[in-house]
Amino acid sequence: MADEQLPPTPAALAVGELAVVEAAGAPPAAPGIPGRERADRIRIVLTYTVMFIVAALFFIPFLWSVSTSFRTIADTVQGFSLLPRHWTTAGYHDVFYKYHFGRYTMNSAIIAGAITATNLFLASLGGYAFARLKFPGREVLFMLVLGTLMIPDQLRLVPIYQMLVNMLPSWVGHVGWENATFTNRNGVILINLVSASSLFLMRQYFLTIPRDLEEAAKLDGAGYFKTYRRVMLPLAGPALAAVCILTFQGSWNGLFWPAVLLQDEAQRTIPLGLVYFQTIYTTLWPQLMAASVVAIVPVLLLFVLFQRYFVAGVAASGVKG
Amino acid sequence: MAVSVAKERKVRGLGSERLREALVGYGFIALPMGFFLLFFIFPIGYAAYISRYDWGIFRGPFIGFDNYRQLYHDSVFWQHAVRNTLVYTAVVVPLQMALGLSLAVVVNNAIRFRTFFRAAFYFPSLASSAAIVSIATYILASDGLLNSFLGVLGYHHTYAWFSRTDTALPSIIGLNAWTTAGTMMLFYLASLQAISTEVYEAAAIDGAGAWRTFWKITFPLLKPGHFFVAVVSVIGALQQFDQSFIVGGTSGGPNYSTMTVVLYLYNRAFSAHFGYAAAVGLVLFVFIFTVTVIQRLLFGKAEVA
Repeated sequence: MADEQLPPTPAALAVGELAVVEAAGAPPAAPGIPGRERADRIRIVLTYTVMFIVAALFFIPFLWSVSTSFRTIADTVQGFSLLPRHWTTAGYHDVFYKYHFGRYTMNSAIIAGAITATNLFLASLGGYAFARLKFPGREVLFMLVLGTLMIPDQLRLVPIYQMLVNMLPSWVGHVGWENATFTNRNGVILINLVSASSLFLMRQYFLTIPRDLEEAAKLDGAGYFKTYRRVMLPLAGPALAAVCILTFQGSWNGLFWPAVLLQDEAQRTIPLGLVYFQTIYTTLWPQLMAASVVAIVPVLLLFVLFQRYFVAGVAASGVKG
Repeated sequence: MAVSVAKERKVRGLGSERLREALVGYGFIALPMGFFLLFFIFPIGYAAYISRYDWGIFRGPFIGFDNYRQLYHDSVFWQHAVRNTLVYTAVVVPLQMALGLSLAVVVNNAIRFRTFFRAAFYFPSLASSAAIVSIATYILASDGLLNSFLGVLGYHHTYAWFSRTDTALPSIIGLNAWTTAGTMMLFYLASLQAISTEVYEAAAIDGAGAWRTFWKITFPLLKPGHFFVAVVSVIGALQQFDQSFIVGGTSGGPNYSTMTVVLYLYNRAFSAHFGYAAAVGLVLFVFIFTVTVIQRLLFGKAEVA
């Protein structure tokens, strides 16, 4: 997935550059056949026009939601206009100060941040062990890890809910943590500490790193943890980035487990907040769109900054089959 | 004597080194493995256990297979949840595959603004389902963008697409085909780039056109890609929850038209029928597992990387 013939083009630049590059980069004329050059050029322009229209279909809904998020409510029922008739940030203000999305954003950030951190640590440490250290049962255990990918989250709903409500609090009660509850942010974090796909991604990447460096570290008397920490981790940047981005995206966007475990209003994440907001305030469009924009922007920023790792990560998790 | 002691010490030294490596290895995987055992493997057995009890919020009396018997005769489950899920899967999977493949083939060419197009097509896959559905609800509202656009074309719709039994599920299907197309595109792209360029050169020498090359060469060579995308897409479709939950609430409204198996499971669990919900979960698990195995047999195991 790595080889790019064209440098990454920021979306905004690409459209502006179109005319210039298109004119300069027309294919060389095929000599000898009159009219061929013209036909080719028309065909190319047509192809690109269609492609830009299709591409537009993929993000026009988002531009429309951004446009609406800056409107007044009256504006939304006055018929079509591309841009707001009266620009206002009231939608965003309401969402944060009236409808608690400030709190939801913080909950989402805490949950996604914690899950990402634990995934990075546990998946890289475990991935290193599965890739490099020899111990009996390694392959079987790794198959077991991959096998967990076959278990749908929905099957886990009932047992995990029961575990978090009944079993776990009584277990931790025995070790002195009285009245612990897990039907909250902690529960969502706890059941997502590490994922098989993160572990798989890290292991596959460690397998591609040459052994020489570890051998050198070993000769210097470095222990296993030090080798992991000082030699392997610094080399695993791209894999760590892919795990980081995909895990953050997944947990920031996640709806299923928050919907199962977060019964308390104060614990809601942005997606869950959006669901409840929608059912209660059906036609507060500017506010709903503002909240949607708030939900999308962090992931969008990550994507714009680290597109290569996104693509590589999704592809890597895909190639394995 | 001295020699043999030295030898013995050396052997023991090696052994303890190996033991140390193994112990460190177990130590490094201890937390993840403990986690997988506690929150993935154990719950399967626990779900099976719960499903045999009349389990409300807490454990009730043992009732054997009564939950499964009741499920067998449950008309909401079969006529709405299962039916909708199957219809949804049957329509959305081919759509996702066709869209993903078309986009991947386009983006795989040495076209200008390749990165831009790839990013644009992947864009909807980034956003959370809740945000996507919110935006869709707005666009598909009774006075929304789509109905205004259709009005300009002379086709007058005055109802919200998510609010009617005949259009709610099709709208969700269209929405999800669109949002997941980008992810499927990335899977197909990885698979496309595994095809050797020599094959295409040979085809070009034989004078095969683009259309013919695609159907005769690219499409058959993408078999592992088709398999993977089909499996991911089917599994995802059978687990459809988010959009139905947001559009129709826990009862899959309007009038069960967006009820899916997973939503029904959620619905049962949170109307304090945990035993029953566990049975639904196990039936779903067995079904998904069977479908995956059948797909694997159909596409051939050797083809899968």
